[in-house]
Amino acid sequence: MSTLRRLWAIPTARFALVVLAGVAFLAVFGSALAPHDPLKQYTDRVLEGPSGDHLLGTDYLGRDVLSRLMAGTRLSVIGAAEAVVIGAVLGVPTGLASAWVGPRLEWLALRISDTLVILPFTVFAIAVAGTLGNGLQQAMFAIGVLISPIFFRVTRAVALGLRTQQYVEAAELMGASQWWTLRTHIWTKVLPNVAVTSAQAAGAALLVVASLSFLGLGVTPPAPTWGGMLASDLGYLTQQTWAPVFPGLLMMATVGSLNLLADAIRDATGAGTSARRRRRTPATSRKERSGAVVS
Amino acid sequence: MTAPATEPAPGVPVPGDGAVRADSRARRALPFLRSLASTALVTVTVLFLASVITFALGALSDSNPAAAALGETATQADIDRLNAEFGLDRPLVVQYFSWVGNALGGDLGRSWFTTIPVSDSIRQALPVDLSIAALALVLAILIGGGAGIGAALSNGGIFDRAVTLVCSLLGTLPPFVIGMALIVVFAVKLQALPAGGYVPITVDPLEWLRFAILPGLALSLDVAASIARQLRTSLVGSLRENYAVGAQMRGFGRSRVLFGHVLRNAAGPTLAVIGLAIPLIIGGAVMTEKLFGLPGIAQLALQSAEKGDVPVVLGTLLVTAVIVVAASLVINVLQKALDPLARQGSARRAAR
Repeated sequence: MSTLRRLWAIPTARFALVVLAGVAFLAVFGSALAPHDPLKQYTDRVLEGPSGDHLLGTDYLGRDVLSRLMAGTRLSVIGAAEAVVIGAVLGVPTGLASAWVGPRLEWLALRISDTLVILPFTVFAIAVAGTLGNGLQQAMFAIGVLISPIFFRVTRAVALGLRTQQYVEAAELMGASQWWTLRTHIWTKVLPNVAVTSAQAAGAALLVVASLSFLGLGVTPPAPTWGGMLASDLGYLTQQTWAPVFPGLLMMATVGSLNLLADAIRDATGAGTSARRRRRTPATSRKERSGAVVS
Repeated sequence: MTAPATEPAPGVPVPGDGAVRADSRARRALPFLRSLASTALVTVTVLFLASVITFALGALSDSNPAAAALGETATQADIDRLNAEFGLDRPLVVQYFSWVGNALGGDLGRSWFTTIPVSDSIRQALPVDLSIAALALVLAILIGGGAGIGAALSNGGIFDRAVTLVCSLLGTLPPFVIGMALIVVFAVKLQALPAGGYVPITVDPLEWLRFAILPGLALSLDVAASIARQLRTSLVGSLRENYAVGAQMRGFGRSRVLFGHVLRNAAGPTLAVIGLAIPLIIGGAVMTEKLFGLPGIAQLALQSAEKGDVPVVLGTLLVTAVIVVAASLVINVLQKALDPLARQGSARRAAR
């Protein structure tokens, strides 16, 4: 609770939280509140500009852009959230464990994370769609798996740094069980870092989901998503150059807010500050590099 | 370092000198060899794991050549016959090793539809992506490097803040939107450049540049932003270090200190960022291909994925992984070459 209050004290965090609350609201109630049916085609009003009837105009099939934006929020957000959850579930426990298991398993875990890092999102997602079938679940699985190394490395770096702290060593010497140490000393320090990473990864996942729907992977038309709307606007650029602006702005606001929130959590909780002090250790430099992927 | 650490003391007999030198040379070469071996081990393991992941996708897939080629009309006999023809009735371990063994020899199997060798299709499509990705990398380094250096020089000034703002905004947009914006500006409004199409670089380099510059630019901006951000951070940090301040106090100009002293040290972390950006560039090339209608590896993979043509899909994934690993190795070597600590005891140095 005190963390939330500290977060609220930062102006950029307040802005980000308000924007994200708005997005969450749209995700829940967007399709119910949409002024038009997002799939209804007003065939006599194709590619119109904003008007009283259609506040943001219509797309190439005469569908209401505002309604599609509102209704599309849910699929876009759920997709990104699912990918982040999969990534965290795969990455955080393994990251914690890798600080404790023997050097051989640790080496192998690091190599697996290396391998996942080198696979490009889009190519991997295409391969998953081509082998396991094209759908939202498969696409999210693909993104989640490729996101997991970020969580793995962040968690591992923090856990490794904490293991050599004197109070953790003292606890272990006094006979605390590993599980107890993990829960009391490690987890509370790992959590803010996981939160920062989640916010960053959610922003990145949102962009990747959009990119995939642009490629025709994941959510299949006519279901509206931000990325899908951007993609379909592309074919009509000559007629309507401003069409990509609305979904683009919405996406920018969401991803930007997530990035701002990540920075604010870092400032409010001091996550990653201990790592910055010990810059020379390979684990932390790796962590910083993995952070660079997301940003 | 021209003078070896074991400078012979005066009076030491000359014949011993050579032995001492050879000994120290070997001692210096050892860490280098060890780092070489560990790099090789990591690379081989990563490639092995990538091939396992790729193969596992194919093994988990429930599509088979008969269903892919004949669709609903395939009978069980057809399925069995085609499975046997493509070797899919063998145990998975055997399949894996024959697939990897053939892949090492440059044979990625045949398409289930056209029976065209996968490696031929990839060889045709790959130059498109590689040339565009290379162009994007060059543009990213030029733009990102320029912006980062400029921002560091105007630390806190208007240019610095502008670069920071543009970088954060670029990071909030999917890469294809940037490409769209470029199409609108250069192809639709200015009518200066083509919005799509491709001419191979081997046919006409100038025409190629005309077609490739927009995709390359679209691809590079994202990476340029991360390069600029990282370079600015490391440069600002390094400019505060004692050696930079000292050089300035000795009367060297600001740009002389930057280019002569600091840039080399700040380049290390930036190279790491570039190394991590390579998967992004290759993955982004997929996007730009679709955007600009280029006949590259992504179109191949996408079309094959739609049809369930597993060998082609797996082939593209594997080739992409190999390319990224190779590029990362180059970055790794460059990093070592730049960093005197990593280079210490390298064979090159000891040989001098």
